[in-house]
Amino acid sequence: MSELTHASARGRSIGGQLLGGGQLVLGVILAALCIAISIAAPQFYSEANIIAILRQCSLVLIVASGMTMLIITAEVDLSVGASLAFVGCIGMAVLNSTHSLALGMLAALAFSGGVGLFNGLVVTRLRVNSLIATIGTMMMLQGGVYLFTREAVQNHNQLASFTDLGAGYVGAVPVPVILAALIFVVAYVTLRFTTLGRYLYAVGANEKAVRLSGLRSERLKLFAFVVTGLCVGIAGMILSSLMNAGQPTAGRGFELTVIAAVILGGTSLLGGRGSLFGTLLGVLVLKVIDNGIIILGWNQDLQMVVPGIVIILATYLDIIRNKANVR
Amino acid sequence: MSLASTASAKAEPPMLARLFARQEVALLVCLILVLAFFSVTVENFFSVRNLTNVLGQASLPLIAGIGCAIVFISGEVDISIGSLLATIALPLIIVMNDTNSLLLGVGVALLFGLIIGVVNGYLTAYAGINSLIVTLGTMFIMRGGVYLYTGQRAIPDDASLDSFIALSDGRLFNIIPYSAVIAIVLLVAFGYMMQHRPFGRQIYAVGGNQEVARLAGYDVRPVKFICFIISALLATVAGIILAARVGSAQHTAGLNFEFQVVAATVLGGVSLAGGIGSLTGMALGVLILQFLSNGLRGLGLPTEWQLVITGMIIIAAVAFDEAKRRRAIGG
Amino acid sequence: MSVDFLHHGKGAAIDTNVPALEMRGIGKRFPGVVALDNVDLTLEPGKIHALMGENGAGKSTLIKIMAGVYGKDAGTIRMRGGEVDIKSPRDSLKQGIKVVFQEIALISEFTVAENIFLEGYPTGRAGSIDWKKIRAESAALFNRIGFNVDPAARTGSLPVSQQQMVEIARALAHEARVVVMDEPTSSLTPNEVSLLFAVIRRLAALGIAVVYVSHKLDEVFEIADTVTVLRDGRHISTKPIGEHTNDTLIQDMIGRRIENLFPRQRGAAGTKVALSVEKLSTAKKLHEVSFEARAGEVLGFFGLMGAGRTELAKAIVGYDPITSGTITVDGSRLAPHDTRTGVKLGIGLLTEDRKSEGLMGELPVYQNASLASLGTFARLGFVDKAKEHKAVQDYVDRFRIKTPSLFQQIKNLSGGNQQKVLISRWLMRGLKVIVVDEPTRGIDVGAKSEIFALIDRLAGEGLAVVMMTSEMPELLGLADRIAVMCEGRLTAIMSRDEATQEKILNAAIG
Repeated sequence: MSELTHASARGRSIGGQLLGGGQLVLGVILAALCIAISIAAPQFYSEANIIAILRQCSLVLIVASGMTMLIITAEVDLSVGASLAFVGCIGMAVLNSTHSLALGMLAALAFSGGVGLFNGLVVTRLRVNSLIATIGTMMMLQGGVYLFTREAVQNHNQLASFTDLGAGYVGAVPVPVILAALIFVVAYVTLRFTTLGRYLYAVGANEKAVRLSGLRSERLKLFAFVVTGLCVGIAGMILSSLMNAGQPTAGRGFELTVIAAVILGGTSLLGGRGSLFGTLLGVLVLKVIDNGIIILGWNQDLQMVVPGIVIILATYLDIIRNKANVR
Repeated sequence: MSLASTASAKAEPPMLARLFARQEVALLVCLILVLAFFSVTVENFFSVRNLTNVLGQASLPLIAGIGCAIVFISGEVDISIGSLLATIALPLIIVMNDTNSLLLGVGVALLFGLIIGVVNGYLTAYAGINSLIVTLGTMFIMRGGVYLYTGQRAIPDDASLDSFIALSDGRLFNIIPYSAVIAIVLLVAFGYMMQHRPFGRQIYAVGGNQEVARLAGYDVRPVKFICFIISALLATVAGIILAARVGSAQHTAGLNFEFQVVAATVLGGVSLAGGIGSLTGMALGVLILQFLSNGLRGLGLPTEWQLVITGMIIIAAVAFDEAKRRRAIGG
Repeated sequence: MSVDFLHHGKGAAIDTNVPALEMRGIGKRFPGVVALDNVDLTLEPGKIHALMGENGAGKSTLIKIMAGVYGKDAGTIRMRGGEVDIKSPRDSLKQGIKVVFQEIALISEFTVAENIFLEGYPTGRAGSIDWKKIRAESAALFNRIGFNVDPAARTGSLPVSQQQMVEIARALAHEARVVVMDEPTSSLTPNEVSLLFAVIRRLAALGIAVVYVSHKLDEVFEIADTVTVLRDGRHISTKPIGEHTNDTLIQDMIGRRIENLFPRQRGAAGTKVALSVEKLSTAKKLHEVSFEARAGEVLGFFGLMGAGRTELAKAIVGYDPITSGTITVDGSRLAPHDTRTGVKLGIGLLTEDRKSEGLMGELPVYQNASLASLGTFARLGFVDKAKEHKAVQDYVDRFRIKTPSLFQQIKNLSGGNQQKVLISRWLMRGLKVIVVDEPTRGIDVGAKSEIFALIDRLAGEGLAVVMMTSEMPELLGLADRIAVMCEGRLTAIMSRDEATQEKILNAAIG
């Protein structure tokens, strides 16, 4: 049996994907970027810079881990940016009044998980297209956060543990990076090795077949929405720790960066296809570009332009590659 | 031909109008309810001045909504229109400041819009990239481009041409804002195109079932391509009016505008799935949301409530529509 | 425009001595497969030409080349004596070729009249669409083919039979000289079939060359003048229908004699009741349906289109909601009424619509096979892949599933092999009752007998098989008992021995 050769050749099995063309191209792009930038600016490889890149990656990677699962089930969540801002404000407010990191964290997770649950219920029960449903939620959250607070919720608690959440280190590694790594690993293992992960792919590939097989497809989608929400909760708390305040204006456009990273990583908006490893590469590519723009002293506003080009280009390359494989 | 004539007498006249009559009637009833409610609860709501003001405010989403609805009907999405609004204001203001000519400014702005439409349309229709991704990408690129050019500051309109300013506060017969007149003219023109020109019907066919359209001998690609160009040009027109209103080109112009327009379009019964909906529905969707937010402001609610309520209405409207559709299939 | 042709032209413009369409040496290859190799087809005006062959024989490739969906790699196409170049559906339509595909190609949101003129709207003043003319001509066209459909009706609301008539009217509206009907009867009632045949004969009488693509021998004998058989992408024979018998036609199609499509291997059915359904009703269709199925038997459900077979299948496995009644699987009641409980109790559905309800096309074979039983390969929620692959490989070997590997995307397999994977999905789970809905739809003759053998084996292993079918031979060949449905009600249950075609049809008509 020629299973192994087939698996690595093209099969869209999860195992095959790791070695599949998409990730390879992305890996090459990442390597090329790193080499190019480091030639132009040798300080790229300094420890401080690498840690800075990783720290910038962490927020996006945390939410992108949830979003990858969600997009694999063929749904999407545009409300994560608005939720990120709101959750930071709520978390900070609870911290200020209770002086307990645990309670603040809990409030943030409860809120963002609740947003995910709401999105999930609207999509699975009311059958509203998730793009539209989450645009609706996004508007509600954007309006809601201003009703909650007109200005930034300042940090009055001065809890060291809270400050560490964003700015602390374990050894040489920043806490957010550790959190992101943990979440990534858990999500990666879930998607690759567990029945739950397999069911998420299955739901994205054919929801009716999954339901006929005696599985609760709606719960699976709901799960992905809630996980995405919880990831936003963690990211929101880290962000407010980094900014030392809950900012109602934070997170603008964040949802687009996250989705860009996931799609760049080869996850299909049609569902059933994608991998977290790709998402990791996607996040790294976007953030290395960001970093390059900064250390090369280019106009920082390029940070918006470049991801736009990259996401279109990457998708286009994916199409060309698929065509080449079919013909 | 005798048989034919009896048959046509039996057939009810306007084809799609008949199909979507109920949807649009429902929306119209909603609009009337909104108007009636606020007329009673808000002083001066039902005055010519206020109504025409709202109409003026509605003109931007109405104009851009035409393009958005047409792209939706063709089975694609365009979420780059908000960034487009900000982008085309740059060449418009710069050229007007340099040349003191509205015509040149508008011409260059339209040229920019055309280029963006061509890019969106080409990448979607010919390169085959998912339109959500394409317009997400161009949205980033354009918004970033504006930031790159302006930094954080606005570029003011130094030319202050009367004709340009009239776009923001001029009124036809001193009653109807010019922007609303432009919106109505465009709405009628494109409404006619969608219902009574072969090209309009091709858009419905392509969005309704791409494979069928192909088998009927249509080339799907140019149809979609042109839809994106229409959308970009209409967003350009909206952007010109917006620039006249704010009197400058600035990087924050049209932020989240695309979501407002998408929301109103969907509320108006235009389906993301393609091939379903009408411009009349879209227009009613825009008006409902505009009058609602105007009325809520009249009631003294903070403006943020409008966002919250709009969000809820959109979810509720689509959920209701979906429930209705499922019942229809089930029954 | 076309009014002239309709009312005065009749067949006069068509020269009956020149072939309407001549295809010579047509070749077409796809990656790894030669779909057509040196195929000839000549169509005479006013004649009905049947095109037969198993799935994969090349029929659909050939008609797609006619329709301009595929380009040909070799050969020539001549129409009315001159060579033509068909590169797109547009070219094909311009040449007067109209293919009515099995999947009806109409815009369901449009009215009937608009669909008829989809290929070219008549325009009036300033290029506006002339809706009046469209409606009037539509009515005239329906009059001409002798079939009435309301031109103002929304197309999606019509039954398939009427949608076919819309397609035919569309062919006339654009002066088609060649009309290809692709498996047109697959979802029609006998009554509708005879109406369709009348219309097809009318087309021929107008001088149009008709291509009739079908699997069904009896239909071909009834309607065709000439038969061309393809096999494995090659032209096998073209003969007047009179020179064929059932046997010679089958032999041409499959290249060997099949004595019996359904070799029964299993013993007698058991007596233990595996599934008991009592007074089952649904909101849409079913009305107080009651029956029992025993372990080891095949209970065949026959019914015409719209009788409610698929609805029944989906209701008894818990997929579609019910309004009243009880379902008992192996002694336990199916409550709550959902597929989760159903699968737990041991009842599952092999769907009629493989693509949209069965296959996960993008995913590999092994994941498709293990979907329902993944839990049994898991420890603490982690999948034991080695164990899973071994189990799937077992089924691939036992059922002789042809796939390059377990990691092949299932969409690349043939219909028969896909079906076998989906059957494996249920067997790996371990069922007491399997409901199979049109198990051989879209599967070629050779593979059909393998699927039948599988179903026979399932019953032999003690499963209760509930089989929904609209194919009489399938029913009579496989079932131990036969239940007949009509408009959502059960109208008869009889044993195989007492069943005759007449009895079954009478019960099906109600």
